[in-house]
Amino acid sequence: MATTLTPPLTNPSTFVPKRSKGQILVDWLTTTDHKKIGYLYLITSFMYFLIGGVMALIIRAQLTLPGLEVVASKEQYNQLFTMHGTIMLLMFATPLFAGFANVLMPVQIGAPDVAFPRLNAIAYWFFNFGSLIAVSGFFTPQGAASFGWFAYAPLSNTTFSPGIGGDLWVFGLALSGFGTILGGVNFITTIITMRAPGMTMWRMPIFTWNTLVTSILIIMCFPPLAAALFALGADRKFGAHIFDPENGGAMLWQHLFWFFGHPEVYIIALPFFGIVSEIFPVFSRKPIFGYKTLVYATIAIAALSMTVWAHHMYVTGQVLLPFFAFTTMLIAVPTGVKIFNWIGTLWKGSVTFETPMLWSLGFLVSFVFGGLTGVILASPALDFHLSDSYFVVAHFHYVVFGTVVFAMFAGFYFWWPKFTGKMLNERLGKIHFWVLFVGFHTTFLIQHWLGVIGMPRRYATYLPEDGFTEMNILSTVGAVILALSMIPFLWNVWITSRKGVKTDLKDPWGYGRSLEWATESPFPRHNFHSIPRIRSESPAFDLNHPEFASPEAKESYAKEGRI
Amino acid sequence: MSKNRRGLALAATSLASVLLLAGCSPEAQRGYLPDASGVTNHTDRIIGLWTTSWIVLLAVGAVSWGLMAWALIVYRRRKGETGLPAQLRYNMPIETLFTVIPLILVLGFFAFTARDMQAIEAKTENPDVTIEVIGKQWSWDFNYVNEQVFDSGIQAQFTGAEENISETLPTLYLPVNKTVKIDLSSRDVIHSFWVIDFLYKKDMFPGMTNHMYFTPTKEGTYAGKCAELCGEYHSMMLFQVKVVSEEEYAAHLATLAAKGNVGQLSNDYDRNQNLPGSDPEVRG
Repeated sequence: MATTLTPPLTNPSTFVPKRSKGQILVDWLTTTDHKKIGYLYLITSFMYFLIGGVMALIIRAQLTLPGLEVVASKEQYNQLFTMHGTIMLLMFATPLFAGFANVLMPVQIGAPDVAFPRLNAIAYWFFNFGSLIAVSGFFTPQGAASFGWFAYAPLSNTTFSPGIGGDLWVFGLALSGFGTILGGVNFITTIITMRAPGMTMWRMPIFTWNTLVTSILIIMCFPPLAAALFALGADRKFGAHIFDPENGGAMLWQHLFWFFGHPEVYIIALPFFGIVSEIFPVFSRKPIFGYKTLVYATIAIAALSMTVWAHHMYVTGQVLLPFFAFTTMLIAVPTGVKIFNWIGTLWKGSVTFETPMLWSLGFLVSFVFGGLTGVILASPALDFHLSDSYFVVAHFHYVVFGTVVFAMFAGFYFWWPKFTGKMLNERLGKIHFWVLFVGFHTTFLIQHWLGVIGMPRRYATYLPEDGFTEMNILSTVGAVILALSMIPFLWNVWITSRKGVKTDLKDPWGYGRSLEWATESPFPRHNFHSIPRIRSESPAFDLNHPEFASPEAKESYAKEGRI
Repeated sequence: MSKNRRGLALAATSLASVLLLAGCSPEAQRGYLPDASGVTNHTDRIIGLWTTSWIVLLAVGAVSWGLMAWALIVYRRRKGETGLPAQLRYNMPIETLFTVIPLILVLGFFAFTARDMQAIEAKTENPDVTIEVIGKQWSWDFNYVNEQVFDSGIQAQFTGAEENISETLPTLYLPVNKTVKIDLSSRDVIHSFWVIDFLYKKDMFPGMTNHMYFTPTKEGTYAGKCAELCGEYHSMMLFQVKVVSEEEYAAHLATLAAKGNVGQLSNDYDRNQNLPGSDPEVRG
C-alpha cells in the first residue's frame, strides 16, 4: 500500500507501563486526550441517566394510585420532576452527545485530537461541576429547585421559590452551559480545520455532519440560555426585576427559555440520528441511502428548529399562532425525509440483526410515533386541549427517550469494541433490548390516552373519580420493566470487562464504513498508525471491500491495479 | 417477489384496516377524547380535526412501519448468503417524491388548522355573559361581571381517603346557550384554566388579562384543572364548571348575593409586589 504510512512494527498502545492507581486517577483527572474526555462524558452522563431514572421511578410510584404519599410532600414531588427533567436534558442527553462526539468525531475525520484539547478538558469540568452544583440542591434544607425544568417566571423568583436549591440550579446550569458552548466551539473548529487529506465535507460520515450541525445549534441557542439564567440569578440574588410580570417579564422568560429550549431538543436528537445513520448501512451492507438529502434534511431541521420555539407557548394567548404552527409543521418534512432515507438504506439490503441494529430499529419504530404526535401538537387548535397534559409527556418521551436512549445503546453496542477492544455479549444485549422495548412502550404509550382524557402533567396526585387510575397502574408497571432492563446491560458491561474476548480486528462487524473501522481496537493514542485513502464517505468499507467500493474509490484502486 | 403476491398483500392490509375502522367503539370514533360532543360551540370542530388528523397520520405511520417491516423481512440476510447487495447510493425521483408528498400533506393540515383555530379564537363582541376568573395559589376566584357578584374558592381538600371530592370544589356556573367571554388573570404565578370537556385551556398571567370566548351548549358538570405548574399544591388547584339553565344560573347568583358576595374581587393584592425592592417608595 504505497499511499499509506508504514505502520510501526508494534502497536505502541500495547507498551503501556504498569502504573499505580493514583497515577491512573491523576491521568484521568488531568487528561486532554479527546477519547478519555469523551469517556468521562459518557460515564458521567450515564451515571446521571441512572440517577434521573431512579427519580422517574419514584415519580411513577407516587402516581400509581390516587392520593398516595410515596414522597413526603408535594414540594418534594415537584423537586423530583424538576430535577428529573433537568438531569435528563442537560446532564444526560446533552453531555452524552459531547461524549460520543469527542470519542468518535476526530477519528471519523482522521484527526489525532480535537482542535483545542485543553479547552475540551475545561468544557468537561465546567459541565461536571455545574451539574454537581445544580444537583446539590438536594442537600440543602429546603431541597432542590422545584419550579419545573423550564423555570417559568414568576414561579422561579424568590417570592414563590425562596429556597437556595433554586439559586444552585440557576448558577449550576449557567456554568454547565458554558461547558456545552465551549464544547460546541471546539467541535466546529475541529471539523472545519482538522479533516485528513481527502476528507472533503461531502465525504464526512453522517455522524460527523450531525455533530457539526448540532454544534452550530449549540452556539446559537446556549448563549441566550446563559444570559437568561444570569438575569434570573440577578433577579433572585440582587432584586434586578428583569422578569417581573408587570413589565412583561413572565413572557420574556418564556421566549428566552424556549428560544434555547426548542433547539435543545434537536441538539439532543440530531447526534443520535447520526449514530443510527452510521449503523443502518453497516448491517444492511449498503451505503446510506440519499447521503446528500440526509445532510440537507439535517440542516433544514436545524434551521427550522430556531423558528418554532413559541409552539410551546400556544396557550399563553400572546404568540402569533399561524407562524409558529406553520414552521412547526414544516419540520415534519425533513424529518420524514430522514425516516425514508433510513428505510431506503434497509431497502434491498442484506439485513442482519446484531444488537446495534436492533437498537437502531427500536429507535426507528418508536420515533415514527413520536413524530406523528408531534404533528398533532403542532396544530394550535388541538394543542389547546393537549398542552401541559400527559399527551405532551408521552410525546416527548417518544421523541427524546426513543431517540437518545435507543441510539445511545445502539452506539454503545456498536462502538464498544473500539472503546475497549472487547465485544459486548450479543445475547445479553438482545435480552436488554427486548425488555427495555416492552417497558418503554408500556410506560409511555398509555400516557397519550391519559393526557387526552385530561390528566395534566406535573400533578403530584389525582382524584379517584378522574378515572386515571388503571392507566397510571399500567404506566408504573411499564416503568418497573424499563428499570429491570438495566440489569442485563450492567451485567453485560461487567462480564465483558472481566471475561470478554479481546478482538484484534479493526472492523469486528465486517462491514464498517467510516474511518474508525480502519484503525486498531481499542483506538491507539493518536488514533491512527496509517490512514487509508479517502475517496468517499465510506473509506474503511472501500478499503476492505474494494470490489464494492464507491465509484471514486474504485477508480483510484483501478489505477493501481488493485481491482 | 411477484406482482401478484404484492397485490394480494396490499388488498389484505386494506381490508384489515377497513374492518378495524368499522368495528370501532364510540370512544375510538372520537379518537378517545372525552365525550365532549356538543359541550361548547367549538368542541365538535376540534373533535373533527382531531379524528381526521389521526386517520391521515396513522395512514402515514402504517406506510412507514409497513415499509420497515417489509424491508426487514424480505431483505434479511439468509443463512449461507454471501456477497453484498447492489450498493445503491441515491435515487432522485424517489427522494423528491418523499419530500414533496409530506409537504403537500403538511400544507393541507395547516389549512385546516388555520381555519379551525381562527374559529376557536374568534372574539365575541358584546357577549351575553362576562366572567372574570382570577388564578391564585392554589384556587380560583370567579367574578360574575354582569351581576356584580363573586365566588371565592379554596384548594381541594384531598388527602387520599375522601371520595366525591368534585362536589366540594369551587364551581363556576354558566348559563346554557349564551355567548360567554372569560377574562383570565392571576394574582401570583402563571396558572392555566383548563375545562377538560371544553377541549380548551388558556394561561392566566399576573399583570395581564387573557380572554376566551365560547357558548356552552350542553347542560352538565365539567371538571376543570390548573394546567400550568404553579407551586406545591398545583395538583389541588381544581374546579368545576356547571352549565345550567338560565333560571338555575340566576338562582345561583342570587344565593351568592344573599351570602354577601356582592361586588368584585380584584388583583390589588398581587403577591408579585412582595419581591424585594418592589416597595413603591423605592421604585416610585
